[in-house]
Amino acid sequence: CQAGLELTAILLLPPRLPGTCRAQTRHTHQRASLLSFWELIPMRAEPLRKKKKVDPKKDQAAKDRLKKRIRKLEKASQELIPIEDFITPLRLLDKSRQRSQVELSLEESERRALLLKKWSLYKQQEHEMERDTIRTMVEAQQEALQELKLESPELYTEAIKRDYSLFPFEKEGPYYTPPIYNYQPPEGRYNDITKVYTQVELKR
Amino acid sequence: MAAPVRATLLGVRAGGWRRCDRLWGGGLGSRCLALQAAPSGSRSPWRLLGALCLQRPPLISKPLTPLQEEMATLLQQIETEKSLYSDHELRALDEAQRLAKKKTDLFDDEQDEKDIMHVQDLEDMWEQTFQQFKLGARVTEADEKNDQTSLHRKLDTNLVLLVREKLGDHDVWLLPQVEWQPGETLRGTAERTLATLSENNMKAKFLGNAPCGYYKFKFPQAMRTESNLGAKVFFFKALLLTGDFSQAGKKSQHVWVSKEELGDYLQPRYLAQVRKFLLDSNGLSCLW
Repeated sequence: CQAGLELTAILLLPPRLPGTCRAQTRHTHQRASLLSFWELIPMRAEPLRKKKKVDPKKDQAAKDRLKKRIRKLEKASQELIPIEDFITPLRLLDKSRQRSQVELSLEESERRALLLKKWSLYKQQEHEMERDTIRTMVEAQQEALQELKLESPELYTEAIKRDYSLFPFEKEGPYYTPPIYNYQPPEGRYNDITKVYTQVELKR
Repeated sequence: MAAPVRATLLGVRAGGWRRCDRLWGGGLGSRCLALQAAPSGSRSPWRLLGALCLQRPPLISKPLTPLQEEMATLLQQIETEKSLYSDHELRALDEAQRLAKKKTDLFDDEQDEKDIMHVQDLEDMWEQTFQQFKLGARVTEADEKNDQTSLHRKLDTNLVLLVREKLGDHDVWLLPQVEWQPGETLRGTAERTLATLSENNMKAKFLGNAPCGYYKFKFPQAMRTESNLGAKVFFFKALLLTGDFSQAGKKSQHVWVSKEELGDYLQPRYLAQVRKFLLDSNGLSCLW
């Protein structure tokens, strides 16, 4: 601070350089105080840039070009996720894989035809039985609802409301053997190598 | 039912619509002919009971009938005839060829054969591991003892829960039921039945809000009163998910029974109504 004061004294009092004196007197109204020396000399200023107007245009042009390229890529690479079941692996198209045609004897083909006919009859009977069972069940339910309606209409309206908690309902179906009591599965880890495809969505 | 209906008509015309409006929020108009549980005035002579048809779904599939077995083998045959050779079969064919070649050619084998696993050895190994694994038994000990209170009996059919209760003088086997209380839906009554029976041990999935069947009976002459002609029982179906009876409460006896055995326990008229909504075990194997 003392050095600053001395310097200002030296600068201000003798008018050595006319330019600086004029600059100093010109800018004195802008300074915070007469003794603030560091504000006279712009210490942190950079040399002025010459191209100020053309630069943003260049930047914009570069950005547009990039956007165009991105758009072209997006248009071109509309790869759909492959359904692996529909692509036969090449190793299965080998000729050596094909079996020789089996010649069926007369008895065998007759037996097969007869069995298929019996099976279709059996399935028809099964279907009719299912249909009848379902029909009796539905009729029983309708009768019950009628009785309930006679009893109290409010309970009836409650009964015919849809039950939203019923679905989704998951249940594992019957297996061939029942689960083993207190079964300890073997310990181990596994690597899941299923391929996961992601599809890039277009931002349109 | 005719007399009470006439009474309600008179009551409505004489007394006024106020009674109807009070409980059911009006707008019923002609519906006031229906019998409501109004404290004063006309009352339905039938008591309402909500009953629970709790079923344990089958754990294993039914054994195949001879026709089904034949069909299954035929389909398997046709499938193998129309298929391509698998890797394992190709390997077996190659080895057979190589063996045949080795027998015909006299020079020694180029590759060391001791390290290669023959197809036959592989198959034997697999067969052994399969034999060593113990599967769960399809016919359980409960089947052999014919213990009807256990859940592990008859794993391939639906089992329905029956409960023994005192009605009047005698014990009667029936589906668990509980009287309806005003202020709850009938399905709520059925849920309450489940809770009281199992003391919250059992978890069941109720199949919808509507009852699946009903049974109405009149009380014996001694018990009938003006407002208590008989009772209507509405059955609700539920599937047992988990849980079982706790062994402590043995006072009210229970039994898990399949559809054929229902005839041993239930009264004829009750049985006729119940059979309508229970599935036959022989037809549909995996549904309820």
